[in-house]
Amino acid sequence: MSVTTPSRPVAVTREREPRPPRAAAATWLIPLGYLAVSVFGVWWIAIDLTALQDGAGDIARLLERMLPPEFGSLSELVTLVLETLWIALAGTGVATVVSLPLAAAASRNFTGPRSVQWLVRGIIVVTRAVPSLVFAIVFVRIFGLGPFAGALAIAFHSVGMIAKMMADVFEELTPAPREAIGAVGASRFQNFTATTLPRSLPAISSLVLYRLDINIRASAVLGLVGAGGIGVALQTAIGSLNYQQAAGIIVVIGLLLLALELVSFLVQRAVAEHAQDGVTSELYRRTADPIRPGWNRARLLRTGGALIAAGALLYALTQVSFDPSRLGRSWQAAVDLVTGFFPPVIDSAVLTGIFESVVMALTATTVGVVIGLVIAILSTGHVVRFAPLSFALRVLVVLMRSVPDVIYALVFVAALGLGPFAGFLALSISCTALAAKFFTDALQGVDPGPLRALEATGASRLQVFVSGVWPRFVPSLIGNSLFTSDLALRESAVLGIVGAGGIGFVLQESVASLDYGTTAGVLICLVVVVVALEAVARWARTRVI
Amino acid sequence: MNVPGGDAADVGSRAQASLRLDGVGMSFGAKEVLAGIDLEVSPGQFVALVGPSGAGKSTLLRLLNGSHRPTVGTVSVLGTDPTKCSRRELQRLRTRIGFVFQQFGLVGRLSAMENVLMGALGSLRLPRYGVSSYPQDLRRRAAGNLERVGLIDARFQRCDTLSGGQQQRVAIARTLMQDAEIVLADEPVASLDPSSSLSVLETLRRLSAEDGFTVVCSLHQVDLALAISDRIVAVRDGSLVLDTATSQTNESQIRSIYQRNGPAT
Ligand SMILES: Nc1ncnc2c1ncn2[C@@H]1O[C@H](COP(=O)(O)OP(=O)(O)O)[C@@H](O)[C@H]1O
Ligand SMILES: [Mg+2]
Repeated sequence: MSVTTPSRPVAVTREREPRPPRAAAATWLIPLGYLAVSVFGVWWIAIDLTALQDGAGDIARLLERMLPPEFGSLSELVTLVLETLWIALAGTGVATVVSLPLAAAASRNFTGPRSVQWLVRGIIVVTRAVPSLVFAIVFVRIFGLGPFAGALAIAFHSVGMIAKMMADVFEELTPAPREAIGAVGASRFQNFTATTLPRSLPAISSLVLYRLDINIRASAVLGLVGAGGIGVALQTAIGSLNYQQAAGIIVVIGLLLLALELVSFLVQRAVAEHAQDGVTSELYRRTADPIRPGWNRARLLRTGGALIAAGALLYALTQVSFDPSRLGRSWQAAVDLVTGFFPPVIDSAVLTGIFESVVMALTATTVGVVIGLVIAILSTGHVVRFAPLSFALRVLVVLMRSVPDVIYALVFVAALGLGPFAGFLALSISCTALAAKFFTDALQGVDPGPLRALEATGASRLQVFVSGVWPRFVPSLIGNSLFTSDLALRESAVLGIVGAGGIGFVLQESVASLDYGTTAGVLICLVVVVVALEAVARWARTRVI
Repeated sequence: MNVPGGDAADVGSRAQASLRLDGVGMSFGAKEVLAGIDLEVSPGQFVALVGPSGAGKSTLLRLLNGSHRPTVGTVSVLGTDPTKCSRRELQRLRTRIGFVFQQFGLVGRLSAMENVLMGALGSLRLPRYGVSSYPQDLRRRAAGNLERVGLIDARFQRCDTLSGGQQQRVAIARTLMQDAEIVLADEPVASLDPSSSLSVLETLRRLSAEDGFTVVCSLHQVDLALAISDRIVAVRDGSLVLDTATSQTNESQIRSIYQRNGPAT
């Protein structure tokens, strides 16, 4: 109504006015915070130029010992690569199925008991915070060596990740259809399958595929703690100091992840196209009998896709299945573990470990963000337009991403010895690759219209970048930096498993020596720190974006 | 205030009212949205609820299907007080009340047939997914209902590829699956262009006459209300300001209630 409209713009301006000063403060405070932690980190980790120089020499010598890579038995490698895939597939599939009801209960739309909702939210927060490699250490203890523990570890961590994202998807849906079906007297469960599920399906398939991609990466290193997959061979090779063999396996893992990069790009594109509204209007073929839905391309694709997904999941499950003869022993181990959790022990070793993990993660984030930013700027053509350089940088980023950071850490530990320095270097590489990828995407996404206008005024490329691109890039720079440190923290918590500093070492030792009270202490600290950093990041993001 | 409109004979012939409100008031926090509402609607009547935006029409309709509870007064729908129902009982009561929304409330990615079938969920126990998961007899009824709203050929079409008027017809066919005794419609044609507005309302009117269900339909276009209803109830600022048989009123009388100092009948 015409009477009410004038009040709107007023409300908007009133809301907007106090914003810029706050945004500006956060824009400076967050980088300053990272910088402060990093200065401390450089001292704590004892990073200095001579260490870097000596380190470079040591790494070069190790790399020499790794050449030429040896591949050993090819059929064994293929079997292990497939096992890696089955672990990821089974874990992701189970997590997806379990996540559906959890996400429904965790989402704001849930109308059931509050207590259920808070319990489910708790489960999601905790499983999200604990990396799959940490779950794997615990599950190997309970279920023994092999892919079952690995798949379970993947599933546990993914439940938190997938359920969180699914709940977000559910909350974004418009309430109209849900209200309409509620009004016909349908139960909550019926309403969920009728209105919420079909509307979320495109978003769910794409987030599950994204998670599957991440999980295949994670599964490649689960073998380092004995939880199956290609990492087992790597562990064996390193353990027996057979560096050429190790190099061969790293190459295989790299190729696997490169192939994955390509496949997931193609699949994401296909899903996005399929999900686009209005692509198909007839969902079934009409037949002479009005109540009999016939087969057309759209129905074949839907049904075929669902059958392939279900078939792949079932097959993967058979490949990672649990050996029932171990049931008794596993039960006993689980009981020991859970009773051993009490009382949790949080001593100085645990606190130092978790502190070191945080320092490593944040320092590496700073390094990664700075180098990643340079790479992104050089490869997007805003400032420098030299196609071969931009191509080379993109290839470099893809290659960096194709080796998991635990493997970088493994190599650095072998070259430089135990300690956080190796972990810091490994994390710096993976943070650089991540940040470069995020920033490149963000810089490419900057709307070119205003830039053209600036160019037309005769501004130089650098001027266009500084006044046209940069201001709009800053929110995503900060958001993605926070996200990078979020990922880095989880990674830095597991690097200790290969001796590269941080809490992972304490965790692994505690499980190996049956000191489960300390295990519980580590898990508690880990969850608290990850959740706290996430909260800080979320708060900071609202200030900037 | 007038005695409830409609033929006296009709009121007399059917013992029980479809719905009645006695002294109903409703507040959201400190904000009073409805006050002193008395309303009785007899079976088969087509009532148009008119009034300016913010008058309380939607709130009134949501009271009738138990989505809101009144702050004071009593509500009786099909002889039941929805505020006294347990969740299951309310679910059962709602299977007998159709509701048509301005925004249709369809699942755009699914076929018209499946959206219509959802209207029968209240009579089924398990959840369903996909047209083939519904029993044959329901599918046959769904096809029949699509036929009645003129959309049988679009049965397997994605709902979001249909026009607004067609989508609202699908939503109406969905309420037909309930075999509802009452259909409540909240601004069902507010998002449609004038010609499809009239034809959607005419369809609703025809179906109501054929099946004998009661309709309470909120509208903000007075001309449509006059063209389609048996009885017009006007709301302003949360109170009933006019309640009359459609044949006994005209456009200018109703228009005047939109204005502050208009005659409160
Ligand atoms: N959930 C709610 N909470 C608070 N106020 C509400 C709510 N729903 C409606 N109102 C208020 O009640 C009044 C009547 O609203 P509504 O019944 O939607 O009117 P109408 O449908 O006639 O436009 C409006 O002033 C509206 O702001
Ligand atoms: Mg309304």
